[in-house]
Amino acid sequence: MKEIMQYINRDTFLHSMNPLSKIAAVTGIIALSVFTTDSAVLGLMVLGIFLASLKAGLQQELLRQLKLLVFLSLTLILLTVFTLKSGETIGYLIPAGTLAAGRLVPVTTGALDFGTVLSLRFFAMLFAFQLLVVTTKPSDLMKALLAIHVPVDYVLMFVIALRFIPSLQVEGQRIHEAQLARGYNPGKGMRGKIMSVKPILVPLVANSLGRTQVLGLTMDMRGYRSRQSVEKNKLIWNKTDVAAVGCVAVMGLGVVLGGFM
Amino acid sequence: MIELRNFSYTYGTAENPALKNINLEVRKGELLLVTGHSAAGKTTLALAMAGILHHEIGGKIEGSLSFKNRDIKDFDGMKELSRYTGMVFDDAESQLIFTTVEEEIRSGLENRGHPEKETVRRLEEAMEFCELSHLKHRAPHTLSGGQKQKAALAATLALDTEVIILDEATAELDTQAVRRVFSVLKRLKEAGKTIIIVDHNVEDFLEIGDRVVLLEKGEIKAVKSPADFATFPEEVALEIEKGKQDYSHPEKEGQPVISVKKLTQRYGEFTALDNVDLEIYSGELVAVLGKNGSGKTTLVKHFNGLLRPYSGGVIVKGLDTSRVPINELVKHTGLVFQNPDNMLFEDTVEAEVSFGLNNIGITGYQAAEAIDRSLELVNLKGKEKVFPRHLSHGERQRLAVACVIAMRPELIVLDEPTTGLDAEESDRMMQLMKRLQQEGHTIVMVTHNMQIVKDHAERVIRMESGKIVGDSANGILGSVKKEIKSTEGKSAEGE
Repeated sequence: MKEIMQYINRDTFLHSMNPLSKIAAVTGIIALSVFTTDSAVLGLMVLGIFLASLKAGLQQELLRQLKLLVFLSLTLILLTVFTLKSGETIGYLIPAGTLAAGRLVPVTTGALDFGTVLSLRFFAMLFAFQLLVVTTKPSDLMKALLAIHVPVDYVLMFVIALRFIPSLQVEGQRIHEAQLARGYNPGKGMRGKIMSVKPILVPLVANSLGRTQVLGLTMDMRGYRSRQSVEKNKLIWNKTDVAAVGCVAVMGLGVVLGGFM
Repeated sequence: MIELRNFSYTYGTAENPALKNINLEVRKGELLLVTGHSAAGKTTLALAMAGILHHEIGGKIEGSLSFKNRDIKDFDGMKELSRYTGMVFDDAESQLIFTTVEEEIRSGLENRGHPEKETVRRLEEAMEFCELSHLKHRAPHTLSGGQKQKAALAATLALDTEVIILDEATAELDTQAVRRVFSVLKRLKEAGKTIIIVDHNVEDFLEIGDRVVLLEKGEIKAVKSPADFATFPEEVALEIEKGKQDYSHPEKEGQPVISVKKLTQRYGEFTALDNVDLEIYSGELVAVLGKNGSGKTTLVKHFNGLLRPYSGGVIVKGLDTSRVPINELVKHTGLVFQNPDNMLFEDTVEAEVSFGLNNIGITGYQAAEAIDRSLELVNLKGKEKVFPRHLSHGERQRLAVACVIAMRPELIVLDEPTTGLDAEESDRMMQLMKRLQQEGHTIVMVTHNMQIVKDHAERVIRMESGKIVGDSANGILGSVKKEIKSTEGKSAEGE
């Protein structure tokens, strides 16, 4: 089974970074992705994140999401082509004579540009977030988030959500097998996927809800919600930390200044 | 340490009290065993003693409960109480919050603000105690049920609280792992800890127990000394394991229902099944025994095509499982998994049973008849319109069986049919197996419950690291079987 969004126990320069600086960098990248509409800046960010993953040898992790991202990008570009008309018309999606006498659905440069920007935003955000998650131990992530005064309940929610992704995958598989054993055959393709939702999702959600009480009590009994102060000396900044946060800050500054000019 | 006086408790939405008039004193350094049937109030009592009813769940509380000679209400919530009490619950998966075993134990210690040196010492100790050192970098979803329970146990033990409460915390462990927990608890008791073990089966811990509290319908029925509790003699288990004679089936003729030839199954590097040969004949009641991870479940998943052979072959009623699709094979092999909650999704019991029938093309009058018959068999008649998740655990387990037997497969395979069931419910489940066998079904059950193997199985197959290491007639049962048959004949005549 492929695990998604799970910590990978290795020793790379990304692992040795301070979780706080990683969180700062990722937050910066996400904020930048939202604010900038310049595809060059976005492209540069995606490239930067990918180079970082390459240096750490974690590019496979990012490439795994490629299928999903490409699918998402194509959908977004198609959507903008249909809904947005600005700039020059460079062609038509449906040539003359196919559906009607004239040409239909003009493809404009404005639509393509905007579609590309939207896609690159998703690339940047998802890649950055994924690198953060696969290179930071959940407990370090928790400490870092607590150190910047994120309320403990939200931190635990976040950590637990990440932790249960593969468990849900495993459980989904088990439920799937149990339904197969009852002769269930939803068929293949899109239709099969939609048909199989109820028999798989209902037990999955019901089981997860049933789990909450024990989970909550366990956190109380082990003292997560009444944590003693974290040892500050564990969070040390190194050169990479400064470089990562610095890069993002410089880019942010550039975008802001660029906006004035 | 803990003292309950005239203590009664009713859950917020319930009509009847879960606990009635409990008077009990748990002394410091005592090892108390609490047992009783399902819904006897065991877990509620455990939650009460941990202070969780007062501080987290609420509900109607009467009488008094003091902890360390202080009213439990006066403590500063679970924040303060959790410094003195550690509790391990039955659902291990929900007690693992982090992505590795080591992190799980360590983060709990860090919460308490111990210095690094102390944290490391306790971490190592807890992992060694619970035999987890070799699993410390593993993620929860890669662990077996038993290993998860050990991790949850270790995370609580590491906190070194004065009171430790275990609520059905060893249900998924095999015999060997339970013995290991036994020795850990023994050491902790010697170190002066107060330990409360809540379980429907406390026999494994009688030797170190000081008192046994028997609960029934929310009341204390008796407080006994462990010596007064009948034990399951260990020799019986050994006898089963040895097997009296090699199994041969002289009277069985014709085609076997299942024929497994040189079956090997691999997951990546790991060999789950190694060259397994096995034949099961019509009308047999077979138990498959083995430790966690010995390949039992992997083997039975081949019986209905959920897994396809890596090499070798499996023939079910003359059908080669590597070629025939699953929805054809399930007409011959019904597989009931361990956790009924992984299959129940409809709004009524009736609809749940008809789901499987519709899948194999049985509808209308025929389906109604099959539903009726199967619910009758599993003793759930009259519950047709009930929401499946409102049934008790034992009832849900039986409903899962009904869903499968409604499809009338010749072979019925049950994976751990009695896990989490008390003695009474287990017995009911086994009676059901017997009835199905009499109706002409062939039954295979995967289990680590020695008692039911001893009482019910006719043929015992033992597995060890992916191989069948024993295949024998159940000697104990064999000798008394004839007797049972003759008395059965008599009682039938009497009616």
